[in-house]
Order: sequence, then structure tokens, then C-alpha cells
Amino acid sequence: MNLKEFILVALEGVRNNKLRSFLTTLGIVIGIAAVIAVIAIGQGGQAMIISELEAFGSNIFQIYPDYKEGEYTNPRDFTKEDITIIKKLSPEVKYLAPMKFTRGEIRSAVGKKNARIIATTADYEQIRNVEILRGRFFNAEDDAVGRRVIVLDEELANEIFGSENPVGQRVMIEGRDPALVIGVIKKRESQLPGMQPDRRAYIPISFLEGGNQWQYVHVLIGSAAGKDVVYKAMERTKLILERRHNAPGHYASYSMEQEMEAVNKVTGIMRLIISCIAGISLLVGGIGVMNIMLVSVTERTREIGIRMALGAKRKDILMQFLIEAVVLCSIGGITGILLGYGGAMIVSHFLKLPPLVSWWTALGAFLFSAVIGVFFGIYPANKASKLDPIVALRRE
Amino acid sequence: MIEVNNLRKVYNTGAAAVEALKGITLSIKQGEFVAIMGPSGSGKSTLMNVLGLLDTPTAGSYRLDNEEVSGLSKDRLAVLRNKKLGFVFQAFNLIPGLTAVKNVELPMLYAGLKPDERRRKAVAALERVGLGERLNHRPNELSGGQNQRVAIARAIVNNPAVIMADEPTGALDTRTGEEIMAIFQQLHREGATIVLVTHEPEIARHAQRILRFKDGLLISDETVENPISVAGKEVVG
Ligand SMILES: Nc1ncnc2c1ncn2[C@@H]1O[C@H](COP(=O)(O)OP(=O)(O)OP(=O)(O)O)[C@@H](O)[C@H]1O
Ligand SMILES: [Mg+2]
Repeated sequence: MNLKEFILVALEGVRNNKLRSFLTTLGIVIGIAAVIAVIAIGQGGQAMIISELEAFGSNIFQIYPDYKEGEYTNPRDFTKEDITIIKKLSPEVKYLAPMKFTRGEIRSAVGKKNARIIATTADYEQIRNVEILRGRFFNAEDDAVGRRVIVLDEELANEIFGSENPVGQRVMIEGRDPALVIGVIKKRESQLPGMQPDRRAYIPISFLEGGNQWQYVHVLIGSAAGKDVVYKAMERTKLILERRHNAPGHYASYSMEQEMEAVNKVTGIMRLIISCIAGISLLVGGIGVMNIMLVSVTERTREIGIRMALGAKRKDILMQFLIEAVVLCSIGGITGILLGYGGAMIVSHFLKLPPLVSWWTALGAFLFSAVIGVFFGIYPANKASKLDPIVALRRE
Repeated sequence: MIEVNNLRKVYNTGAAAVEALKGITLSIKQGEFVAIMGPSGSGKSTLMNVLGLLDTPTAGSYRLDNEEVSGLSKDRLAVLRNKKLGFVFQAFNLIPGLTAVKNVELPMLYAGLKPDERRRKAVAALERVGLGERLNHRPNELSGGQNQRVAIARAIVNNPAVIMADEPTGALDTRTGEEIMAIFQQLHREGATIVLVTHEPEIARHAQRILRFKDGLLISDETVENPISVAGKEVVG
């Protein structure tokens, strides 16, 4: 007999005991389904968070003064010279831009809207991977002369210009000079539930500050030359700032890499806990399979005797019951994978997360259930194969 | 074909040892049709189980088809059962979940035949016993006589050297028993060696030779002068 024939015989056995086979595999089905569902939701969520973080821009880091309570002092704020010198002294820092946030109503001839205004420099376009829809982002020349230009995100542009092309038109910024719209950029939709970034407009910081003397600039955003030099870039930047401002230990940094590590760590712990629970449920499922296989061997002792009388060898009986256990568990595994994926789809539909099951997770779950079959099937199968033909035949 | 010398079988069941066979010597030649008779408990089934390689004797020698079988491994015995013996039991011993044709295929499954060859031979064997129309019925969808015919088809399908039948008509009514005996006689005419255990003298007289047992001993060995001959045609086709 070859493997295919053993599987056919095993399937016959399963078919002849449908209800029992169903109940036997239930433990495996539930265990595998739980694992798959949790992995699907977990991986989907993780993939979303990571893509969210990556969309923010790669190799990004931020630097800000680390004020202890009540010790705010001006000299630690960032200046234009800081940026020039950092970029000159540290090759790891590819782009570096200041960020200063304000709010205000932006009004066109057609409409108006309150928006978050980000004052920065041309480097910001590269750092954040800005996607231009119309026109352009401001450039070094705009920065240098403090040109009164503004870039809108598409939503804001739609709201204050409707169907008109905003590029080349003028807008009033609440409490400031009018500005010329030079570009519209794509808005980064956050996929995370409950995270709706507000409308945003971007202006050169030299326009906001009315020149090159900046005040209250507390954030630098930069992009390192490579993934592996992010840490170096941050450290170097901080060191230069500490020297220039004579404030050792008073700057803090933050990078996307750190953020991702944190995400991975959290999901890693989650996965570990779930694996433990799944492991226990699969262990229980496996014991269930062993139990039923033992009952089955006892109940089918006569069948075993008949098969032996007809020429079945020890190995034939062993394989028959072992493969029956494996087939049972594999069927349970496949059912569990489908059920788990279905469950994940339902859950993620409500959470608005994409479910994600990689093919190797499914394959792994399948193989694992087969291994459970071997592990818990070997004892009953061995017991069956050791029966004496005449004893087995006499059993009623 | 079968040569048995001073065969003994002792059952050790806790309290007392039962000596079921107390030194049996006999030989059965190829092509013989032998009936074994004797009162209940005289050791007939014990002998059949030993001859059928299902049980091992306590002492004595047994040569099947010129091969000494005592001391052979379990797997070797399984191969000999598969290739040289065909069993017909009183209780049919078909596997309930399998159709007639699947039941008949079993010995060939363990002989390693290819599926289409198994199927072809199983169908031919079932046709020989007149069950060509009932291939895909399960045992619970067949009558006792039909089940016993499936069992006979299964016993003959590997062309065994000896067919062993322990009270094959025991669970059947007289008429159905006659039909089964007609099949055995037909097989005998075609050259099969048959050993058959029975309680009924009528059934025994279908054979050529009757061996009588009592208390684990062979007490007589007689040739049947005029065996009852059943016209097998109508049943066997
Ligand atoms: N497995 C066993 N364990 C112990 N004693 C047994 C066993 N099988 C048979 N015996 C005993 O051996 C003796 C012969 O039994 P056996 O079954 O061979 O008789 P039999 O001639 O086939 O009887 P019957 O016509 O009733 O079938 C009996 O005394 C029986 O009790
Ligand atoms: Mg008996």
C-alpha cells in the first residue's frame, strides 16, 4: 500500500463516522481558527501601523529641546544657523527642516476654512515625501527671500476653492499678509481608526517669521542618509546643538525606527501570549483526538482482526490509524484556517483593518495540525497494530 | 498441502489450563474438500485458527504448502494468510462501512495490487458467487446468504491454496446454506482445496472426507462414499 491508498482508506474511515469525526476535530478546528483569526487581525493591524509610520517618511527623526518643568529658556530654541551648521558638519543628516505650528483661517474669493499652518523650509518636501498634485512646493529661494507663498493640502484646496484651480490665486491668512498659492499636495489619509488629520497649509518659515530671525522654533525634523545612520544622525545633531547652545543633555530625539521597534515589541508580546493560549487549546484538541482514536481502535478491534486475517501487516494497521488521525487533524486544520480567516474578516470589517494571513501562516497552521495528528495518533495506532489477529477477531 | 504433526494447543486462562488440541496428526492434499465435525468444545475452531495462521500452536509442527510455519514472524504469517489462505467465517466478518466490492478488494489491497486490477478481480469474484448486481451494497443492505457470498468472493479472490470455512452455514437457514454449499462444491470442482467446519451432518456430506473430533482429539477420518452434489449452475451461473 502506498500513501495515497492509506489516505483513501483513512478517508473511508472518516466518512463512515461523520459525526464522530466532526466532534473529534472540533478541538483542532477551534484552536487553529483562533490562532488564524488572531494572527490575521494582528498582522493586519501591524502592517497598517507600519505602513502608516512609513508613509510618514523613511529615516525620519525629530529633535526638540528637552525642557524640565519650569526651566524654559530661549537660547535652546532652534535657529537658521543651527540647521546650516548641522547639515554642513554631519554627513548623516541628509535633510533638516524646522517646524513651527500655528492655526488660522484661510480665505479665498470663493470660500474659507480654519486650518493648521505649518511653517517650515524646502527640505520638508523631501523629508516627508510630499506628493505634489498641482504646482510645486516652496524651494530654497522662497525660503531665502521669505516669499509670501502657501501650499495647501487637497482637501483644504477643495474647500476654499471648490472646482477652481488654486495655483496662482491669492488667499488671506487670518492675521497675516495675503499669500500666493503655489501648490496643492496630496493629503495623507490616516488609515488608523479615529485618526483624521486636520486640513493643513504650508508656508516658508521665513514668511511666518518675517525674515531669518526665528522665534520659538522647538521642532527640527530631519531625514538621515540611510536607515542604519538614523541614530548617528540624531546623536550628532544633538551634540552640535548642545555645543552651540551650551546646554548639554537638553535635547531629545525621536525616530520612526524607535516607534516601529515599539510597535513590533508590543505585537510580539501579544503574539506570544496568543501562541500560548493557542498552544494550550491545540494540546487539548490533540488529547481529544487521541482519546477518540483510542475509542475508535477499541470499537474497531474486530475490523482490525479482519484486516489482519486478510493479510494486513503490523505496519499496515499502524499506518491506517496514524494516517486517519493525521487526516482528521488536517481536515480540522483546514476547516480552522477557513473559519479563522472568515472570523478575522468579520472582525476586521468592524474595526476597519485589513485582515492579513500570509500563505506561510496558513501552511504552518496546516502542517502543525498534521503534526498534532502524528503526535497524538501514534499511541492509538501503535496499540491497534499490536493486537493479536485471533484476539481481535474474537472481540465482539 | 496441509501436514500437521502432533499439534497441541493449550489455553492458559487464569484458573485452569484448557488443552483444546491434544496432539493432532493429519494431512490434507491439494484439491481435497474436507469437513470437520464434532461436538461443541471439541477443538474444531481452535484447529481452524491454527491452520489459518491466526493462532499459534503450543507444540507440534505444521507445514503449509511445504513450508514449516511455526516460528515465523508475524509479518511473514500475514503474508502467508494473504497469499495462501482464504477465510469464510460463521459471522461473515465483513467490514460494515465498506461496499461489497471494497470488502472483496481488501486482500488484494494488502497484496499490493493496483486499484483498477483490484476492482476488476473483485467484480469477477463477486460475479462468480452470483452477486454481480450487488457490487456497491454495504453489508447491512444485503441478506445473510448474500453477505456470506461476499465473504466467499473475498476468500477466493487472491486464488488461495486453501479455503478455510468455520461453520459458514451456521448463521443461515437450510435453503441458503444449500446455496452456499453449491458454491463450495463448484469451487472444489474447479480445483480448490477446502476445509470446512460444520455441526450438520447434511452439510458435512457435501464434502469428500469427514474428520471427526472429540475432546481435542481426532477420532475418525472417513471418506464420503456418495457426496451430496448440488447442481451449482443456477446459483453460481
Ligand atoms: N480463547 C480461549 N481461551 C480459553 N479457552 C478457549 C479459548 N478458545 C477456546 N477455548 C476452549 O477450547 C476448547 C475448544 O474450543 P473450540 O472453540 O475450538 O471448540 P469448537 O469445537 O469450535 O466448538 P463449537 O462447535 O462450539 O464452535 C473449549 O473447551 C473452549 O472452552
Ligand atoms: Mg467453533
